[in-house]
Amino acid sequence: MIEGFLSNNLNTYLFVGLFLLSCGILGVIYRRTLIAMLISIELIMNGAGLNFVAFNRFISPEGPDGMIFTLFIMGLAAAEAAIALAIIILIFRKYRSIESAEMEEMKD
Amino acid sequence: MIHIGEPIFILMMIITMAGALTTVLSASVIYALIGLVATMFGISGLYIYLNAPFLAMMQILIYVGAITILIAFAIMLAGPFYKRPREWNGITKFIAALIVSLISFFMFFTIIMKVPWNEGKGTFNLLTKDIGRALFDRYAFSFELISLVIIVSIIGAIMLAMLSKGEK
Repeated sequence: MIEGFLSNNLNTYLFVGLFLLSCGILGVIYRRTLIAMLISIELIMNGAGLNFVAFNRFISPEGPDGMIFTLFIMGLAAAEAAIALAIIILIFRKYRSIESAEMEEMKD
Repeated sequence: MIHIGEPIFILMMIITMAGALTTVLSASVIYALIGLVATMFGISGLYIYLNAPFLAMMQILIYVGAITILIAFAIMLAGPFYKRPREWNGITKFIAALIVSLISFFMFFTIIMKVPWNEGKGTFNLLTKDIGRALFDRYAFSFELISLVIIVSIIGAIMLAMLSKGEK
């Protein structure tokens, strides 16, 4: 078994997950194109999954509950990426642009 | 005496964080995608350190293998590169986004450091067999619901692609 101070500490993994969450929030607000925003949302989901597995490893090591939730997050992320990219391609065909600032009109 | 696993763990953390920063701050979308791939590899390394090798394999298969390729095809389909504007939005919006993310970061950081997590005592060596058994025993309903969601999203993506063929 791997022994070590950093790799055997819960707060390290929580810090990495928190860093991914902050980077995702920064990307969702800052980036211009819709695809980059989708990539940032993937970062947030991965931080959540990492936190689930870390809590499962350190807090309740009896059952595989956190790992199953991470698998569910992966499946939902796949479904969300598929449907969001289809919508983005539609938006590009209609507006000839994938910038978020150009989608002003909702009707038409 | 420092253990051999510790520098590799620090390397995995650095790969994850640098990939996340590249994803957010790079000027082009395709560089952001490459940063996302680096982040996924780093997170799968962290999963191996958390004694979850099945999840590490699933991370590489699903994210690096499926979702990244899907996003790459969407980037290639969404117009040529030279017509696309640069990714930065002006310094004021960057400062605003930085303030929001730093506030959330320090808020959650104080919460994480303050809460006393009472850690469990048992050893954590769960096999893939345990994951599969719990997936079909306790979480069977959720599992079927996830499969239903994936089927509905696939049908929805196909319908979106079909209905938009006529218009321009």
